[in-house]
Amino acid sequence: MIKITELKKQYKEAVVLDVPLLEIPKSECFGLVGNNGAGKTTLFRIMLDLVRATYGVVEIEGNDVSKTEDWKRRTGAYLDEHMLLSYLTADEYFQTLRKIYGLSEADLHLHLAKFTEFFNDEITGKKKYIRDLSKGNLKKVGIAAALMGNPEVVFLDEPFENLDPSSQIRLKKLILHEKETSQVTFLISSHDLNHVTEICDRILLLEKGKILNDLRDRSAMLAELDAYFTG
Amino acid sequence: MLFELIRLEFIKSFRSTAFAKSVMVAIFLGFLAIMFLSYLLMAGLFLNRILEVLAEGENTIEVLNSGLIFFFLVDFMYRYFLQKLPVIELESLLHLPISKHKIMHMLLGRSFFSPLSIIALILFTPFAFTVIGQEYGIQGAISWLGTVVFISWTLHWFMLWFKQRFEDGLIGVGIVFAILLLGGGSTYMGWFNLGEIVAPFFRFAMSSSIPLLATLVLCGAGYYMAFSYYLNNAYLEDLSDEEEVRFVNQSVGFFSRFGMAGELANLEWKLIIRHKKSRTFLMLSAFFLLYGTIFYDNPAYQDGPMQHMFIFVGIFITGIFTIQYGQLFLSWNSSYFDFFLTRKDGIKNLVKGKYLLLLSISVLCFLLSIPYVYYGWKFLLIHFATFLFNAGIMIHVITYLAIWKPKPMDLNKGAMFNYEGVGAAQFLMIIPMMVAPYLIYLPFALFFNMYAGLAALGTAGVIGILFFNKLATININRVLKNRFEISSSFRQEL
Repeated sequence: MIKITELKKQYKEAVVLDVPLLEIPKSECFGLVGNNGAGKTTLFRIMLDLVRATYGVVEIEGNDVSKTEDWKRRTGAYLDEHMLLSYLTADEYFQTLRKIYGLSEADLHLHLAKFTEFFNDEITGKKKYIRDLSKGNLKKVGIAAALMGNPEVVFLDEPFENLDPSSQIRLKKLILHEKETSQVTFLISSHDLNHVTEICDRILLLEKGKILNDLRDRSAMLAELDAYFTG
Repeated sequence: MLFELIRLEFIKSFRSTAFAKSVMVAIFLGFLAIMFLSYLLMAGLFLNRILEVLAEGENTIEVLNSGLIFFFLVDFMYRYFLQKLPVIELESLLHLPISKHKIMHMLLGRSFFSPLSIIALILFTPFAFTVIGQEYGIQGAISWLGTVVFISWTLHWFMLWFKQRFEDGLIGVGIVFAILLLGGGSTYMGWFNLGEIVAPFFRFAMSSSIPLLATLVLCGAGYYMAFSYYLNNAYLEDLSDEEEVRFVNQSVGFFSRFGMAGELANLEWKLIIRHKKSRTFLMLSAFFLLYGTIFYDNPAYQDGPMQHMFIFVGIFITGIFTIQYGQLFLSWNSSYFDFFLTRKDGIKNLVKGKYLLLLSISVLCFLLSIPYVYYGWKFLLIHFATFLFNAGIMIHVITYLAIWKPKPMDLNKGAMFNYEGVGAAQFLMIIPMMVAPYLIYLPFALFFNMYAGLAALGTAGVIGILFFNKLATININRVLKNRFEISSSFRQEL
C-alpha cells in the first residue's frame, strides 16, 4: 500500500529524518511514536507531499507522491488546524469537501451520521466559524474531514490530543470500526501510549529521525514502549 | 472546481475580521486607482499633442518609439513596488484532491485582474488608432499596440516570479537599482541612448506582425515561468520557511546602558531586523535620506513661500522612521503584548525602549543627512531644528495618536500597501504630522524670517526634550489605562 525507500530529509547539514525502507500493508493500523523532534510530523508531511524529501521516494499504491496527484483522492489527512478552511462554518466546510470529493448530499449525510456521538452536538448546525472553535472541536472537524470520501489511507497526527476522555474513547471506536468495515489503512502518531497500543497493530518508534524499533507483537508493545520512554 | 476556489476566496474576504476596515481601504484605493486611470486616459488621449509640444518639429511616432523603453522601465519600477504577490492559504488546500495546477492557475489568473494590467492599454490605445493607424493602417496600429501591451504583461508575470524569487533579498534590490541606473543613468549621463537602441523594434512592429507574435510568445513564456516556479514551490516548508538567524550578534551595545528599557530596545531592534515588514521601513528611511535632493537643488523652492516646504522635507528626512514605525507603535508587539503586561514595569519599559530606539535612529538619520551641507549651511540648520522638534515633540504626538485603538498586525507580511495594523488613527495621524511643525514655525517665519522660525522649532524641540520624562509618562499612563482593551483587541484574530 505505502512504500518508503531511502527517504532522507536534511536541513543544511542536519539530517532530521532517515528511513531506509518502510512498507505499510493495506488495512494496517500503523502507529508512530517518539519524543518531540523525532520526526513524526515531518514523516507524515513528506508522505503527503507537503514537504519535499531531500532524497528518496514515497509511494502510495505504486504512485510516487511527488509526481502524481491521483492518490490525494484516496487519502485523507488531518495534521493540524491549518488544513481547515478557518473562515467557513463546519457545515460549510463539509459541503465544500463534498463538492471537491464529488459526493452526493446523501453520502455526506451518511458520513456525518457516523460522527453524531463524537461531535456531541457541538459541530454541525452551529453558526460558528471554524477559527472560533476550541482546539478539541477543531480536531473533531479535521478528523471527520479526513475520513470523508471513503479514503483508503488516513493520516492522523496526534488525534487524541485536546480531546476530552469520552471523545478519545469514541474516536478509538470510530477508528476500529472504519478499519473493520472499510479496510482503511490508518497512520497515527501519538504521545498517548495507552491509546496507540490499544488500536495499532504495529508501532514504529522513532528517535531523532531514525527507526529505533518496529514493534509488531501486540502483547509486548506497551511494556517495551514504557521501558523506552522511562529511559 | 475553479469556481469553487473563487467562491471560497470571496467568502474568505467577506468574513475576515478586518472586513469593514478592508472595505474602507479598498474603496479608498479603488478611488485612487480610478483617479489615476482617468488621468492616464487623458494623457493617452492627448499623448500626440503632448509629444508635439515636447519635441517640436519631430515625428511624434519616432519620438514615442524611442521613449517607449523608459515607459517599460517605469512600468518595471511601479510593478516592483506596487504589484502584490498573490496569496492563498495553501496549507488548507494541498491535501485535498484538487490539482496544484488548478490552484496555481487560479492564483496567477487572479493576480492579473489589477489596474496595473490596463495601464499600457489605456495610455497607448488612442495614440495607436489615431496617429499610427493613419500612417500605417489599422493593422500596423494593432500590431504596435499589441507589442507594447504584451511587453507590459510579460513584465507582470516576470515580476511575480522575480519578487517571489528574490523576495526582499539584497540581490533583488540590487537588480532594481541596476535597472534604474541603466535606464535613467545611461541616457542622462550620455553613455548610450537606450531609447534609440530599442526604437527600431517598435518601428518594425508597425509594419510587421512578427514583433507582436514574438512578444505574445514572450508573455506566454513569462506566464509559464511564473507558473512553474509557483508550482514547484507549493510546499509547506517554502511557505513558512524558517528564516536562518542571520543577524545573531546584532545587539546594539550602547542600549544596555539604559537598563530594562535598553534591553527592550535591543529586543525591538532584533524585531525590526528579523521581520520583512519592519526591514522595509528601515530601508525606506534610507531611501528618504535622498528625499532632499529633489527639493534642495530645485530653483522653484529657493525663495518665496515655497521655501517653507523645506521644513516638511527636514521632518521627513530626520523622522521618517519615527513616523512610519511609530504610527504602529504597539501593533508591532501585538502577538506578545501580554508578555509585557505580566512583567513588572513591563509597559513602562516597553514604551521607553521604543523611544530610545526611535531616537537613536533619528539621530543616525540626522548625522547621515549632514552631507546636505553641500547645498548650503541653511539645510544643516533646517535638519537640526526639525530633528530637535522630532525628538522633543513629534515622537510624543505620534505615539499619543498611535496608542489610540491600536490594531494587531502580522509581522510576516510585506509592508507596501499593506494596511494591516492601520486603523483610523493611523490615517488621521498624517494631519498633525503635517500641521504641527508649521504651527510653530510659520508664525515666526512669516513675522520675522526663516531663521526665527527654525529657532522657534528648535526651541520647542529642546523644551520637549527637557520634559521628556513628563511627556513620556503621559503616553505610558495612557497605555496602562487602556491595557485591557488593547490586549483583548490584540488577541483577536487578524
